[in-house]
Amino acid sequence: MQLAVRSISKVYGPEKGLFPVSFDVKVGEVVAIVGHNGAGKSTLLKMLSNWIQPDYGDITINGLNLKNRQAVVKIIGFVPEVPNLFDFFSVGYNLKLFALLFGAPLSRVDQILEEFNLLSFKKAKVRTLSKGLRQRVSIGRSLIADPAFLLLDEPTSGLDVDMTREVYRMMIQMHKVGRTILFTTHRPEEIKNLATRILAFSKGVLMFDGTPADYFQTPLYKNSSPQL
Amino acid sequence: MKNIFILLFHDFAFAIKSKSIYLVFFIPLFVFASEYLLDQSKTEPEKLKIAVVTTESGSSPIFQMLQEAGKKVEIIVAKNEAEGRQLISDHSVQAVVLGTNPPSKQLSLIVLRRDSVETLATLQLFSALQRIHEKNNPSWISEIKSLREGGLRSLTLTTWILMLVLLVGFIILPAQVAEEKEKKLILALLQTPINEKQWLISKILFGILLSLASIILLMFLSRFNPKNALASFAFLALGSYCFSAAGIFLGLLCRHQASARTLGFIFYLPLLLPSALSDFSKKLTVIAPFLPSYQFFSPLHDLFFAETSLTAMIFPMTYLMVLGSVLLGFSYLLMQKRWLMNA
Repeated sequence: MQLAVRSISKVYGPEKGLFPVSFDVKVGEVVAIVGHNGAGKSTLLKMLSNWIQPDYGDITINGLNLKNRQAVVKIIGFVPEVPNLFDFFSVGYNLKLFALLFGAPLSRVDQILEEFNLLSFKKAKVRTLSKGLRQRVSIGRSLIADPAFLLLDEPTSGLDVDMTREVYRMMIQMHKVGRTILFTTHRPEEIKNLATRILAFSKGVLMFDGTPADYFQTPLYKNSSPQL
Repeated sequence: MKNIFILLFHDFAFAIKSKSIYLVFFIPLFVFASEYLLDQSKTEPEKLKIAVVTTESGSSPIFQMLQEAGKKVEIIVAKNEAEGRQLISDHSVQAVVLGTNPPSKQLSLIVLRRDSVETLATLQLFSALQRIHEKNNPSWISEIKSLREGGLRSLTLTTWILMLVLLVGFIILPAQVAEEKEKKLILALLQTPINEKQWLISKILFGILLSLASIILLMFLSRFNPKNALASFAFLALGSYCFSAAGIFLGLLCRHQASARTLGFIFYLPLLLPSALSDFSKKLTVIAPFLPSYQFFSPLHDLFFAETSLTAMIFPMTYLMVLGSVLLGFSYLLMQKRWLMNA
């Protein structure tokens, strides 16, 4: 299964947004999308997840255009930076609602909860959970329909060390079972530990597409902020 | 279809969890309690209570007639005018009769409000007593027929119903939709096989069912049975459709729940008051027909109390249907502008 991005762009203003970009992602790759704030990382991810529509260009998965939402909705799972869960309800309810909407068996809910060590929080209200736990629930929910592609927007943003490690463990686990992962990040250790490929953006333009090892040798990385 | 019902159940669960549903069901209970208290005060009294100020009463024939009309009136003696006024303020009597000094054939009457039902009943009583005393012919007016039948409970029922439908449409739905938009929950739902049309249909159904459920509760507590129940509920559903569509549109226009509540309230009162008060003001009767709420309120009143059929309501029905559908269409267009949802 291959993701093909062809000349997509979304312009909000001069030097703001994402300028025409094309690339392919093969099955099993873990792609880190990096760049400064406002570089276009989240815009790209939101276009891939159908949250926003590109001004121009096409995105296809195995020839299926992303505009045909119904055809691709079970193929792509998206985890936004801020988990968009139903706060009033329990963890179990959140997962069950999406299982029903996807037509997935309800046994999938317990399977996900077990997989992500969330069984003990099944009846806990989402609003009572820490940010890290919410993020785990959000990742779990995105996997309800067993999608081949998983998109994560800064999955460890604002998490403490333990929760960050837990998210890394989950991402590695998902990669092992053959899922293709694209994620945005600001953290060099995430790129080193998780990514098999880097897409680096600057001011909405794709500046680098290659392996992490090559990326860390480029002036793009060396001239970037101390964090990157 | 299955997904629409899942979302509909979810919407009800959401309204229960966010406690907004209690607001809708509180109003019928509040109305019931208020009407119960109003009934205790007997807005159309069977036996009038009239205070007579003894020091001034003298031997007027009017007082003698009052004493003799024991079945129709209960006489309470007051020492002076101040005590009589206090008795009226306490709702212990409906009127105070003051004599003149020196005694004459005419008396003064003190009432709480000149235009109240009690004052009218008191004047009718004195008129009847005067005719009996003077052995005159029967009154020129043999019967009074009113356009608006029923007591206070019936007269206010349509106002309460309008209030409920507007509450669901302009307060509850915009807040719920805006919250789903603010927390990007709509986007989460649109990551599933749900599409925009299904989401809108479930929200409209939620608005209609919530309005109808609260109206049924109100009718049950008020012991009101519409004579043409099918036509009445069809019209109620149509009105709920129109105002729910307006609420969804408002909710999608707002970025935050708080702004949706404010905007909803800005529409709520101007739609409620002119229509509900149109019977009491000539100016409002001219203005109110331009409001969509009046196209719901006035035909509903006729449907309940004048037994008008639905066929006589083609214009308001078409008006509500077209307005609701146009607003729903705009909501669909807004949902397709995903950047608005993502803002």
